[in-house]
Amino acid sequence: MDWVFLSELAINGALTGLLYSLFAIGLVLIYKASSVPNLAQGGLTMVGAYVVLALSHDAGLPLWVAIPLGAVIMFALGFGIERVALRRLAGRPVVMILMLTLGLDIFLRGTTLAIWGGTSRSMELGVSYEPLFVGDIFVSRIHLVGAAVTIAFFVAFMLFFRTRTGVKLRAIADDYMASWSVGISVERGVGLSWALASVVALGAGVIWGEIQGVDQSLSLLLLKGLTVAVLGGLDSILGAVIAGLILGIVENVGADFLDPLVGGGSRELIVAAVLILTVMIRPHGLFGRHDIERV
Amino acid sequence: MQEKVEAQPILSMNSVEVLYDNVMLAIKGVSIQVPKGEMIALLGSNGAGKSTTLKAISGLLKAERGRVSRGEIRFNGTDITEMLAQNRVELGICHVIEGRRVFEHLTPDENLTAAAPTGMSRSDLSGEKEKIYNYFPRLAERRNSLAGYLSGGEQQMLAIGRALVTQPSLLMLDEPSLGLAPFLVAEIFGILQKINKEEGMSVLLVEQNALAALEIVSEGYLIENGRVVMNGTAEALKSNSDIQEFYLGGGEGTDFHNVKHYSRRKRWLS
Ligand SMILES: Nc1ncnc2c1ncn2[C@@H]1O[C@H](COP(=O)(O)OP(=O)(O)O)[C@@H](O)[C@H]1O
Ligand SMILES: [Mg+2]
Repeated sequence: MDWVFLSELAINGALTGLLYSLFAIGLVLIYKASSVPNLAQGGLTMVGAYVVLALSHDAGLPLWVAIPLGAVIMFALGFGIERVALRRLAGRPVVMILMLTLGLDIFLRGTTLAIWGGTSRSMELGVSYEPLFVGDIFVSRIHLVGAAVTIAFFVAFMLFFRTRTGVKLRAIADDYMASWSVGISVERGVGLSWALASVVALGAGVIWGEIQGVDQSLSLLLLKGLTVAVLGGLDSILGAVIAGLILGIVENVGADFLDPLVGGGSRELIVAAVLILTVMIRPHGLFGRHDIERV
Repeated sequence: MQEKVEAQPILSMNSVEVLYDNVMLAIKGVSIQVPKGEMIALLGSNGAGKSTTLKAISGLLKAERGRVSRGEIRFNGTDITEMLAQNRVELGICHVIEGRRVFEHLTPDENLTAAAPTGMSRSDLSGEKEKIYNYFPRLAERRNSLAGYLSGGEQQMLAIGRALVTQPSLLMLDEPSLGLAPFLVAEIFGILQKINKEEGMSVLLVEQNALAALEIVSEGYLIENGRVVMNGTAEALKSNSDIQEFYLGGGEGTDFHNVKHYSRRKRWLS
């Protein structure tokens, strides 16, 4: 057994996993507010990447301006989605909201295709691809940066949910009717959740755009992001982070064992197995809340 | 009905009709007045239209695809019939909805925080919380545990406390006694009476438990099938023979047994 190699697989798996978590945090924010997994989170991630590209490459702004400005644009886009589309669905079955997010995803992909075309473009964040060795272990710098971004978002949200606005958002996640009854603006809260999830999507879009190039396939990150969110419990940000670590490690280490046996493609099988087993064995995920039952 | 020579009522509801889904007529011309600083009861059996009446006043109808299709509702003289629920809370109307509905995954302290008006300063909020914990000492003890794990009585106290944070001048409660032991009902009603006296807050209390409600209010309305069928002082209602028979459990009529039977069956089904 090569322990150095195994730890390298595990560590890089964990870093990749945290990048899935970054994506999943956006899903969790919207699930808390709207009670649906946002099928457009992949679309938003892709749009986030394109917005930064448009501001930096096309408009010539430096990245340190383009990224915050892009975040503001995404924030407004998230609010706009609630105002224009979601508000009309208030009181309708949740499955209708789910279908709306699917439609939104298709719409976003079509729009970016129409504006920027389908050729893959590179993000050019300027992160070095020189190998970085920690002891004997090789790690990718961009993954390290991405993992740091994930942790930063995680800490920021943990603090945010303790503020008064954050507490109001958690109240909305608990009970719309009770929230209205004490004058909480549920609509604004849902809008804010979408806005924050869109900003997270920009973060994920920039990092993943750097790793795999910017094109419509960024929206396919939804599959792994959703798996992580479900494993974490759909409504827990901490759950999303831990589940990302788990999926990343299991996928990277597992694939190394399985690929020689099945001749490649085992990553997808592992992700599928995690998703299906979670739903079957532990539908509330690792950290999802059950409805409280008192005896 | 007495002559209206006294001060303007805090709430006046005139011939209000409510439609759900544009077809289901739930209340049919209900008129109710709440004089400033008074406690008024709205009594009636299941399905009579009590909750619908409160939702029409608080603006929560909209969330259930209901609307006021006739009549008007005035609060301190202002027409609020079409106002957003949120703005009515700002004006001073708060509705403690049926079934307690505390924010279960928040602590009692956070429940109170969530209900704080946006403009309320941090120090005003903590002052407000202390006042509420003084009224409800049981809540103070459990302020940092999850609200979902509180007992039924504690949850009802929290629901009332949460409404008080919005600083209402009219507090409306929808069956706060439901499912609570008599000693808890007495405790909660006693506290309501105390708040009413100390702060001059007007109260509109919806109850099926007429016996307990008529002990603390000055006046009551009886609603049946979406219509007000009786209105009078608490004393007058208590001595009314129909009320005694059907709502105070004094008679041995079949209705009384039906009610008992129904609640027993419901427990099995739930
Ligand atoms: N959301 C709703 N949609 C349609 N009908 C409703 C709705 N809520 C209540 N109703 C109907 O309106 C009538 C009055 O109900 P409600 O106001 O809840 O009575 P109460 O509170 O006195 O038990 C009942 O016939 C009930 O079935
Ligand atoms: Mg009711």
